[in-house]
Amino acid sequence: MAKTRNKNIQAKLVFLGDMGAGKTSLVSRFVRGQFSDFQESTIGAAFFTQVLSLNEATIKLDIWDTAGQERYHSLAPMYYRGAAAAVVVYDLTSSESFERAKKWVQELQRQGNPNLIKFLVANKVDLEEKRKVGNEEGELYVKENGLYFLETSAKTAHNVNELFYEIAKKLAKAAPSRPTGMRLHSRPQETGRRHSSPNLSNIRLFHLQVKWIKIKQRNGFSASETPTKHIA
Amino acid sequence: MHGAQSKRDLAMELQAQLPILRPSIHTRRANLTVKFQDLYGFTVEGNVDDVNVLNEVREKVRQQGRVWWALEASKGANWYLQPQVSSLSEGIVLKSSLKFSALANAMTLKKLIRKGIPPVLRPKVWFSLSGAAKKKSTVPESYYNDLTKAVEGKVTPATRQIDHDLPRTFPGHPWLDTPQGHAALRHVLVGYSFRDSDVGYCQGLNYVAALLLLVMKTEEDAFWMLAVLLENVLVNDCYTNNLSGCHVEQRVFKDLLSKKCPRIAAHLEALEFDVSLVATEWFLCLFAKSLPSETTLRVWDVLFYEGAKVLFHAALAIFKMKEEDLLLAHQVGDVINIIQRTTHHLFDPDELLTVAFNKIGFMTTNTISKQRKKQEPEVMKELDERLRRLNSLREDDRDLVDKNVNFEGHILYIAEFSLNVNS
Repeated sequence: MAKTRNKNIQAKLVFLGDMGAGKTSLVSRFVRGQFSDFQESTIGAAFFTQVLSLNEATIKLDIWDTAGQERYHSLAPMYYRGAAAAVVVYDLTSSESFERAKKWVQELQRQGNPNLIKFLVANKVDLEEKRKVGNEEGELYVKENGLYFLETSAKTAHNVNELFYEIAKKLAKAAPSRPTGMRLHSRPQETGRRHSSPNLSNIRLFHLQVKWIKIKQRNGFSASETPTKHIA
Repeated sequence: MHGAQSKRDLAMELQAQLPILRPSIHTRRANLTVKFQDLYGFTVEGNVDDVNVLNEVREKVRQQGRVWWALEASKGANWYLQPQVSSLSEGIVLKSSLKFSALANAMTLKKLIRKGIPPVLRPKVWFSLSGAAKKKSTVPESYYNDLTKAVEGKVTPATRQIDHDLPRTFPGHPWLDTPQGHAALRHVLVGYSFRDSDVGYCQGLNYVAALLLLVMKTEEDAFWMLAVLLENVLVNDCYTNNLSGCHVEQRVFKDLLSKKCPRIAAHLEALEFDVSLVATEWFLCLFAKSLPSETTLRVWDVLFYEGAKVLFHAALAIFKMKEEDLLLAHQVGDVINIIQRTTHHLFDPDELLTVAFNKIGFMTTNTISKQRKKQEPEVMKELDERLRRLNSLREDDRDLVDKNVNFEGHILYIAEFSLNVNS
């Protein structure tokens, strides 16, 4: 394990939500920078990893992207067990998908880890003309239920990096400042203020950082070799 | 002279150092990804070695075809479809026929099938040996056409999900991802969803049915293969309401892994790695989404003749093949990467099947059924508790319409289950 000056965090992140909401597309857009209109349906779950570098920490995300069909629900605990963060995705052109998302949130609230960082994501914001679930509905729901909210589009990449960046930031905040790599399972989370739009000034820097890490990785550097000091 | 000698020495020395100095030549060659089409038209990305392996496999398939034709010539056409021969898997060979030749033929066939059925013969051999032909013969000739006509234009939750998944089933495949391909897959899946409303449509079946279509060529034959697979070959309830059968299979698999590969099982447990994380997809898609097409179909060749135990053989073999690598893995992510790299590059079916049938040890369908029986109550209890918890969640939410439906279904389910236990 590479020793670095800032925090080295490894965390499990799980994506949940109705079938066709765009879970795989969001992850694939972020990890591979790719989008396809017809994403293969996920069976069981798919696994991805991605390293994010923030000023304060390097975060390795183990991402579990789960199958959306209702009957696969019974498999979900296997994937969210031990997760530090969860993203519940719905398709904003479908009210059913929003209802399913609420059920997921309820389940997550009862699953036993009160420090789980939870995001609600309304995907497909590029299909504004077909929208069935208003922005304010999502906002209201997260206000009542204590989670974070973003509207995204995996297709146009709108808010996709921001989503992962926000998660990483919250994970970094929640992790105690011990210098070595650690697993972040159920660390106490700071009583966070809820906010639904990421800090924009940092986002551009973040984009550069992510791009840079990806280039490094493509050139054969392993994640642990990735320098962690970027922009002070 | 002396100078020449030292030059040569230097050259040799340099040559010896070359791989050390420039290891990247080899790595680069191995990492160079090429896109190519495999035997069933799937675009695969692999390295140069993978292409070579695939060419060797093509040649082996041709040779295997010649073996089948030669046997056909000596034993008579369709020798393998004789009932005494084809019923080996049901274990009634000895009872039904004491004829030595039939038994010998059955043994030959078993070996032959493990070496692979030639793609041209697959539709005929599968259809007969799996029991699909028998199943079809019990209903009127027009069953499939009538069914397709009867369900045309009907919309159910299952049909909506099927429609959603059609373009998401092997996208980019030259036939499956065309209007004709989508239409054929739709007929098979929608037809089946009405034949068995308990299964309806379960994601994963789209991949299975798609491969069946590619092999069987006709919708109707693919439909019957799907039927025999779900109703006779595989364990019950693999694809129904809460995938209870799938949960049972996963537990049986975990047990078998610790028996057959104790070192791997212990190591993975220490890493807190649940093998179901990777194996669930294998069992639900019957490897269609994980292994290259010809390798998947070779597993299916044996599956249709020897039964569902074959899935366990193949799954155990994947772990067994990578034993040393897996024991060196320190993180869950590493384990998954090792397994996924292995499955995606298993272009040579024999590599997998040799391990599956020679290095795993003997298993019978009977022992596996016993294991399942043992695990069932535990799984049901777990699913039941979970459902109860979720239902109590839903009590809070007055808006939910489907609450009662789910709840009633659940009560029925428990009742049915307790009947089974009591009987």
